[in-house]
Amino acid sequence: MSEERDRVQAILTEFQNEFAPYASLSLDGASLDNVESKLREVAELKVRHTGKKSPISGAMNLVGKVAPDERAGFGQFVQSAQKEIASKIDAVEKTLNEVIINAKIESERLDVTLPGRRPRTGHLHPITILRQKIEDIFVSMGYAIEDDREIETDHYNFDALNIPEGHPARESQDTFYTTQGFALRSQTSTVQIRAMERRGVPIRIIAPGKVFRRDTPDMTHVPMFHQIEGLCVDKGITMAHLKGTVTEWLKRLFGEDTITRFRPSYFPFTEPSAEFDFSCFKCHGSGKFEGDRCRPCKGSGWIELGGSGMVHPNVLKAVGVDPTVYSGFAFGFGLERMTALMYSIDDIRHMFENDVRFLEQFK
Amino acid sequence: MNISYNWLKDLIDIEMSADEVAAQLTRVGLAVEGIHPHGDDFVLDIDLTSNRSDCLSHLGIARELQVINNSKLIINNYDAPSPGDPNLVNILDANLCNRFTARIIRNVKIGPSPQWLVNRLEAIGERSINNVADITNYVMHELGQPMHSFDLDKLSGGRIVVRKATPGEKITTLDEVDRVLDETMLAICDAEKPVAIGGVMGGLDSSITDSTVSVLLEVAYFKRENIRATSRTLGLGTEASYRFERGVDIENLITASNRATELICELAGGKADDFVDVYPNKFVANQVASADISASVKRLTGLSFETGECVRILTALGITASDDRKTFSSPTWRHDIAIEEDLVEEVARHAGYENIANELPPAYGAGEYQKTEPRKKRLRENLADMGFDEAITYSFIDTRQDGVFENIPGLLNEKLEDKYITLQDSVIDGALRMRPSILPGLLDAVRLNLNFQRRDLKLFEIGKVFAAQTGEYELPNEREILTLVVIGGEISEGKAVTVRELDLYDAKGALEAALEAVGVSNADFTAAEAKHLRKGQTAAVLVEGSRVGYIGRLSDDIAAGYKFKQPVYVAEVDLQAILDMESTPIAYRPLSKYPAVTRDVSLLGDRNISFAATRQAVTEQNFELCRNVSFVDVYEGKGLQDNERSITIRLEYRSDERTLIEDEVEALHKQILSHLEQKLAIKPRF
Repeated sequence: MSEERDRVQAILTEFQNEFAPYASLSLDGASLDNVESKLREVAELKVRHTGKKSPISGAMNLVGKVAPDERAGFGQFVQSAQKEIASKIDAVEKTLNEVIINAKIESERLDVTLPGRRPRTGHLHPITILRQKIEDIFVSMGYAIEDDREIETDHYNFDALNIPEGHPARESQDTFYTTQGFALRSQTSTVQIRAMERRGVPIRIIAPGKVFRRDTPDMTHVPMFHQIEGLCVDKGITMAHLKGTVTEWLKRLFGEDTITRFRPSYFPFTEPSAEFDFSCFKCHGSGKFEGDRCRPCKGSGWIELGGSGMVHPNVLKAVGVDPTVYSGFAFGFGLERMTALMYSIDDIRHMFENDVRFLEQFK
Repeated sequence: MNISYNWLKDLIDIEMSADEVAAQLTRVGLAVEGIHPHGDDFVLDIDLTSNRSDCLSHLGIARELQVINNSKLIINNYDAPSPGDPNLVNILDANLCNRFTARIIRNVKIGPSPQWLVNRLEAIGERSINNVADITNYVMHELGQPMHSFDLDKLSGGRIVVRKATPGEKITTLDEVDRVLDETMLAICDAEKPVAIGGVMGGLDSSITDSTVSVLLEVAYFKRENIRATSRTLGLGTEASYRFERGVDIENLITASNRATELICELAGGKADDFVDVYPNKFVANQVASADISASVKRLTGLSFETGECVRILTALGITASDDRKTFSSPTWRHDIAIEEDLVEEVARHAGYENIANELPPAYGAGEYQKTEPRKKRLRENLADMGFDEAITYSFIDTRQDGVFENIPGLLNEKLEDKYITLQDSVIDGALRMRPSILPGLLDAVRLNLNFQRRDLKLFEIGKVFAAQTGEYELPNEREILTLVVIGGEISEGKAVTVRELDLYDAKGALEAALEAVGVSNADFTAAEAKHLRKGQTAAVLVEGSRVGYIGRLSDDIAAGYKFKQPVYVAEVDLQAILDMESTPIAYRPLSKYPAVTRDVSLLGDRNISFAATRQAVTEQNFELCRNVSFVDVYEGKGLQDNERSITIRLEYRSDERTLIEDEVEALHKQILSHLEQKLAIKPRF
């Protein structure tokens, strides 16, 4: 029995001698090639010491030579020697593999801060963006979107809007005329007339569109710009509905805390007339922003936006609507001015220069 | 307009501070834009609406405060007029001059004004000239009535004739400009000649000078529309014409004249003499019917105001009610009170717009976008996703662009002598033409961007173009179109250099995608010519067989004009025509259970044999099993003749009933290729 045990012990010792260089392997600074060749050596060691033809596997054959009552003990002894060999090799294999995998991972590490690969995205014009937002709000409030001609007759641009010949608003030098005597519409109010002729009343529309005025371009003037006109005509419509509607859409655009202010004014196509302001979207009406005078509202807390009023009876009569039965409100405002205020754009001419450095800021 | 706070206090008893006055005036619609201290005074800068000519004076503003403050105006009684020689004034045109008063003041000594007067005028931004001129200016700002003083000794015959000017009649006005009058204008004349342009400006020769001793003070009322026309025709606007054309108070003439006379006597040592008032037809103030003013206020504003309260406000504004309170009479100083709604506004603005409720109108129907908007929205988003920035350019362009660009088919009526729409005048040099094409605008934008070193650009614009219709009195043709411009290389987001140079196929691809976004997936492109595009790199765009526009490379001539050194690819199509078409319906085909067999083949032939012709030559054979012909690649150059090219296409064979066998496909493929060779003289290269 002790002879057999000695044989096993000798096998073990031989393994331990052979394994010694790997038992205390120092891999610090070892190259990948080096580690891989060590792994190959260990694999070879594994074949020699754990395979079916390995000495320790052969040692199992010695069990028969051991006295029957000692066989169980001897078997266990061989098995534990086998396990020791296998586990030592596995452990070093694992270590080496880990080093290799880590090295690979390290070598394939990516710079995740490099830009993603994507074609440049274009940008919608800020006027389009704002128009679409406002259209969405009004459609959700039950309004239809309308537009119509940009070159109009005096009838639609003036007469039907209660601006008869000789009226100061008509005689002013604001309107472009074609050589045939047609007017470039100077306000989107023309669509009030066109839409009421087409749809009749009751009616609820907004009409976004281009308008033209004979202003020489400068920082705050352009000869072409965009307006949105609103019109609501029905039985029983009052100025309270005008105020409520204007307040509601401004709240939806600028937030629940937005409030509005209506001031008496004068427009030929409305009576009574009002200009409307809303509490500044930046300073929320305080007039101060981060300790300084708020820029969009010039410190007043209010942003002056547009004109409005109850549709003048002459306008209703012009489209065959009885002003004693129907009443309505209308309002209008300019998109360029609003955009300029929202983004603190100091020069309104940028809107029509199409400088990409300008356009690409509106994402 | 500038209003002095101290001056106001001469006219009305108010306890309010200048700030309070400003806030209250703004509240009732007289917007105070600023308050500026001036010595011990405050000057209010009021932005008046054009209907409130009655407020172009301290008196007018005081009247509004009277309602706000519930206090009374301080009425000053000036010396009553003394009668004079009725022949002093002769009105020959009572339609244009409704009333004319003349006062003679003798022994006047022209000199500087006292300091208080200089200060008052200075506060409201007026310069002092001499005592008499300052007084007439002062009274205008106080009472709203413009007036003019003549040197009586320089008036031929010492009298005034008011008549229309004769054509070509001349006068040198106070501003030392020689002016030619015409028969539409009202001239204030002496016995011989015009000495003033009525309501606009006095003449130089009859004006007050240091040696003037006798003054004829004119205080008159002219027809508003005529003053406006004269002022416009002459290009001469004055403080006087500004007030006359908006309307002054015809019943205030004597008070104003007396006020000025009193001041001249007091400050320039004059002595009041003859006074004549010629007033042929008494002015009739507007009578406004209102069956129930309280109900009307409620109907239009939602405000509940009892009739008594409405009448109180109106009366305080000088609008008097009849006994039954159903008829209201406008005061002579108000020219803007004509209908019941005007009365409602007066009540509402003094009641306060802030007291009107915020209410939404009762629920109505569902909202709706314009019919084409969802597709246009998709079109815009699609183009933006493909890297296009949206431009908006001016609708008027330079006349030098006439005829340079081929416009969308059918826009211009070539039979017309004047095909374009032209503005009478412009505010941008040369930009007189309403654009028939968006391209000039977009190319200007490209130029601007190149100037800022942005060389890789994709721009689009959706907008209207304009052209004359057949009939002279017909409104112009307006069409909504889509225009694209592509130049430079393909930009990758976040990368400093471009990926590759863009070419015609980038522009074409973008246009195809754009068309697909609006529901057109069967657009055709055929080789064509257009005058702004380079020959051989131009295609007509066809949708359902009709031409809707052009795409191609900008011609070298035009590119050179813009100093473009890189190729520019442009497309312009009639968006309106496209949107008017029915979008291609979706025709679903069941998915095949059987695999397809594909064969790529490189065909060598003349380089003018197009892909479309090649594909057509395959599909025209109508083999049910040949399901698709698609493009793989083209090759020209090394190894091929100059006039040759090799085009690689992929043929897809598939059956819906079974798996195809190799031999079957091979036979069919050979048959197809032999047809190609026969028809187009192109054959497999390998």
